[in-house]
Amino acid sequence: MIADKTSGYRKNFLLIITFIVLISVLFILSLFLAFNFSNKYIENEFGSAKVNVLEKTIGPYNDFFQNKIPEVSYYNGFLDSATASKFTDTVLLKYPFVSKVVFYDSEVKNEPVRDGINASHFSFGPKAIYQFGSLVPQDSIKLFSYDNTRSFSVGDDFNAIGFKLVSFVESLDTAKAPSQDELFANFSAIRTNRITYLNIPRREDLKVYKEMMKRKLASLPVYQQDMLTFQLDPYKIRIVNSRPLLYQRIRIEPLTYDPIDASDNYLITEIALPGPFSDYKLYFQSSRSFIKKEVFSYFLPIALILLLVYAVLMLVAMLIYRNLNINSKMFKLQYDFITNFSHEFKTPVSVIKIAGNNIRSASSLTEREQKHYGKILDEEADKLNGLMNKLLAFTQIENKSISLNQEEVSMREFIESTIESHTLKHSDFEMSYEVSGFDKFITDPVLLGSLFDNLAENAYKYSNPGNKKLHISARLVRGRIVLRFADKGIGIAAQDLEHVFKKFFRIQNQYNQQGSVGLGLAFCKELVNFMGGEIRVKSKVNRGTEFIIVLPYINT
Amino acid sequence: MLIFVAYLPGMRVLKNLFLLVCLSLFFACKPGVKTGEIAVNDFFKSQDRALYKVSPDGRTLSYLKLQDNLQNLFVEDIASGKVTQVTSLEGRGVRFYLWVSKNELIFYRDQPLHSGAEMYIVNKNEGKPRKLSGDPKAKIRVLEDQLIDNKFLLVASNKRDSTVFDVYKLNITNGSLALAAKNPGNIAHWIADSDGRLKLAIASDGVNETLLFRESENAPFKPVIKSSFKNTLVPIGFAGKKGLTIYAISNINRDKNALIELDMTTGKEKRVLFYSDTLNVVEGQYSMAKAQVEYVVAETWKRQKHYLNAEAKAFYGKLDELLPKTELKIMARDKNENVFVLRTFTDRNPGSYYLYTADQHKLKKLADINSSIREEEMCEMKPVSFVARDGLKVNGYLTLPQGSRKEKLPVVVLPHNGPRSRNGWGYDAEVQFLANRGYAVFQINYRGSDGYGKQFMTAGFKEWGKKIREDVIDGVNWLVAKKVADKKRIAIYGTGFGGFIALNCMADNPELFVAAASNSGVVNLFSYLKSIPPFWKTSLQMYYEIVGNPVTDVDYMRAVSPVFHSDRFNKPLFIAQNAKDPRVSPGETIQLVKELKKRNIPVTYLEKDEGSFLEKKEEGRKRFYAALEQFLKENLKK
Repeated sequence: MIADKTSGYRKNFLLIITFIVLISVLFILSLFLAFNFSNKYIENEFGSAKVNVLEKTIGPYNDFFQNKIPEVSYYNGFLDSATASKFTDTVLLKYPFVSKVVFYDSEVKNEPVRDGINASHFSFGPKAIYQFGSLVPQDSIKLFSYDNTRSFSVGDDFNAIGFKLVSFVESLDTAKAPSQDELFANFSAIRTNRITYLNIPRREDLKVYKEMMKRKLASLPVYQQDMLTFQLDPYKIRIVNSRPLLYQRIRIEPLTYDPIDASDNYLITEIALPGPFSDYKLYFQSSRSFIKKEVFSYFLPIALILLLVYAVLMLVAMLIYRNLNINSKMFKLQYDFITNFSHEFKTPVSVIKIAGNNIRSASSLTEREQKHYGKILDEEADKLNGLMNKLLAFTQIENKSISLNQEEVSMREFIESTIESHTLKHSDFEMSYEVSGFDKFITDPVLLGSLFDNLAENAYKYSNPGNKKLHISARLVRGRIVLRFADKGIGIAAQDLEHVFKKFFRIQNQYNQQGSVGLGLAFCKELVNFMGGEIRVKSKVNRGTEFIIVLPYINT
Repeated sequence: MLIFVAYLPGMRVLKNLFLLVCLSLFFACKPGVKTGEIAVNDFFKSQDRALYKVSPDGRTLSYLKLQDNLQNLFVEDIASGKVTQVTSLEGRGVRFYLWVSKNELIFYRDQPLHSGAEMYIVNKNEGKPRKLSGDPKAKIRVLEDQLIDNKFLLVASNKRDSTVFDVYKLNITNGSLALAAKNPGNIAHWIADSDGRLKLAIASDGVNETLLFRESENAPFKPVIKSSFKNTLVPIGFAGKKGLTIYAISNINRDKNALIELDMTTGKEKRVLFYSDTLNVVEGQYSMAKAQVEYVVAETWKRQKHYLNAEAKAFYGKLDELLPKTELKIMARDKNENVFVLRTFTDRNPGSYYLYTADQHKLKKLADINSSIREEEMCEMKPVSFVARDGLKVNGYLTLPQGSRKEKLPVVVLPHNGPRSRNGWGYDAEVQFLANRGYAVFQINYRGSDGYGKQFMTAGFKEWGKKIREDVIDGVNWLVAKKVADKKRIAIYGTGFGGFIALNCMADNPELFVAAASNSGVVNLFSYLKSIPPFWKTSLQMYYEIVGNPVTDVDYMRAVSPVFHSDRFNKPLFIAQNAKDPRVSPGETIQLVKELKKRNIPVTYLEKDEGSFLEKKEEGRKRFYAALEQFLKENLKK
């Protein structure tokens, strides 16, 4: 690991690069894994989502089986051909998989019947048999009646239910009420492609049935029973493909269907249909290329999320790099500051040292010499003190550890005294001023003084000899004080303008080789902020610089 | 009330009476409940003393007392006040009893519906009940509470054939039955005179009833008068000692019931004792001792006595003086018509039992029907009427909750059970309970209801779910127009056919109601007709006319039966039933509830433990009404 130790500050660019490479590798790896996962998942889905399709597809049948068929019982045996026809019409219309309904208008009797089932004294036989369906011709609706039995023999369906009824009545425990499920199971027969249902008699009737089986009752009772056989066509079941992107084709096929040409290009699965359709299955087929689309549609959001995470990580890396960069610059600035500062201290200190040496080595001092050295010592001590004060004040203001004094100040007098003190120091400094709109206002005179001194000092420092001019203007604009310090100095380059208020920033040029710590303008900014105002700068190289300070106008 | 009607066919007077007794079978011992909401239980507590009777000699008072949810028979010597417990039964209590001599009583024990009757005889002094009949299949009922030769009792039983009742002489010493008159198959009712001689019979072919008469027990029955079931002809008693004419309540050739004297040899009306175009006679107070009717009770919006002679007016007028400002009913009396058990009631008071001794002109209070109920906390029941869309005037009752607010109230519409019954003026625990909960209760005697004449009754035939429903709807709209009802807070609740109407109204007019409740409601007219027990087969044709013929009116019956239309319900429903109730098809109701739940309709389903309409046991009633209260609160107090 190579670290840039020249500045004493570690910039581990390699570390960052390693980090970026690593997360990139991780990103690509996870994309790969996600894709594989999607692929596997969709293949699994292909196998398991068929249950949903089956549920949706078989829904109308369940409704028919659970809600519509029991309705036959509601008629309590009172169905006749006309009513049954109406009933079956609604069935045929609503449930397309019902192809034909055979209605056995039947009777339970105490006397033997010719057609039907006779078990001891209990007899169960049809009075008439009708069939209904869209394809049933008008002349063959009635299949059987007492008068005309030739065209139809009481068939399988009737016997199946008949035997069930007889054995149920025979084994009926009249002391306890049979459950609804038990009743339903005994009064319905489910066989391939057909459901036969006999209306469930009331419990009281069942008790009489039981009696009828044992003996001939005096009143020879006759009970009406309605039996309906629903013929079902599995191919008419409307397939609901709830996953159209997963299953390319769904068909109903016989249970034995198993084509040999099912190549590797296709994914295939199947599920058996329930109840009367149990000889059939739902057959699902999708080509691999079709499945791919579904895989991508599943993979895409995962990839996007991964990309997002990757992007965030990259952003974090970038931000860390930027912070490192700034910190290293800062470090450099501080380093420079210390160098400058020591330099700044060095001059007065060496002057004091020389003066001290001279005083010590001289055998006697003339009065002139004494005054001269006294003055030098005094001045240089002042300089040091000033430097110390500046540093201290800056830290204080920055930490907000001093409080504002509120005093009334006259702007004119204040500027005049500033001008006076500076022209006294630098005789070639031409200063002018103007004040308009106000004069007296409340502020902290010490802080304001520092601000003025700093800006005046700067204007003098960064102006060519013979052109050291400063114009100060103070105006009241929209309830705020606007101060402008315009000089005719060397100006500031555009790229440096935004940095001039930063701590320890110095423009590298011949004017500030010494005696500058890069604190002046940063100090000014802190001052202005502290006083609740703001500072801006406008400048053109070689034409001059103008500082604009806006302060709140507080008046008594 | 199906079964009871089966026992006392045509005698709707008695049926109404039984209804009233039924509705007021409540009693509580905790007095002094706070104002405001009265506890559910206070309304529906079991009455702890019921069915007061007087022995034939007028010396002993008898009643059923509730002990551990079981009714036992007690007797009290009127003179000394000494109380004796006659029975101490376990498991099943006494359901009904009657005096057969000055010392002996016959009682029936509680039985599951549609099973046979268990009849016992007991001597009031000895205790030790003796079983007279316990055939699990056969029903048995006493025709005349008078012992013949001190050991025979005339009873009717369907023991030979479950569909018809024959008359037997029951030997009370050994319980043996001897056939007295064989039912040719069409006799629906047998009526004996006060000496226990079988002289009257009513034959029925399902639609038409024929009154048969014989002068002596050796003579054959001869048809006297034939009438359709749409008419009322209820024999009250024999007129005079000769026994050739009878008093009867009849509306043959009239719209309203009149009290007439009928000549049994010619079948002609001999005289009209009481008739008015506007008054409907529901009861005739027959004095067996004098063999004459003393007063008739006519019911318009309330029951009113009309005396038939000055003697009776003087006698019963004294009672009215003793018990003013209250309705009065004679519950029992002795043979000499000197000792009476009376019951009082008003719309706001369930009333009390009194013992009245005429020769001493002495009145003694026996018990309150329900001492938890304080009259001032109950609400007034006001008769109202409105005109239905086809111009027919429909009557009803409106009970407003207590409080100053008389407008925009939440309303519970309460259609009564049926067929052929009505709401009457009087204390009704259910109505008062709902009114106490802050609802205005609106009862409607929709067309087909009893008591408003023949035309009004037949106007309701085969109109279940059609004009009957429209009557209820018109009534509700009328109530909304009157600003009594808050249009957005109307619920409908009914029992039996009332439940059927409630469900029908909800299915067809969901915009009008926020919720509907059905208690043992009829959900399928086909099943309802099927539920008519075999021994009542003779009345089947009549029911086909009233309710609908399952062969010819299939479309109508299907259209109005809620079980076929679960898809038409979209608002909260409350459905309660007893799954073992043979009168309804529990499976169908459960199927309906299931289908509604599948469609995510909020349904509260409550399974009752016993009884058909009203739970027999106090806890059961409490559970039912608490659930109903909660349901109504959720939907009406928004």
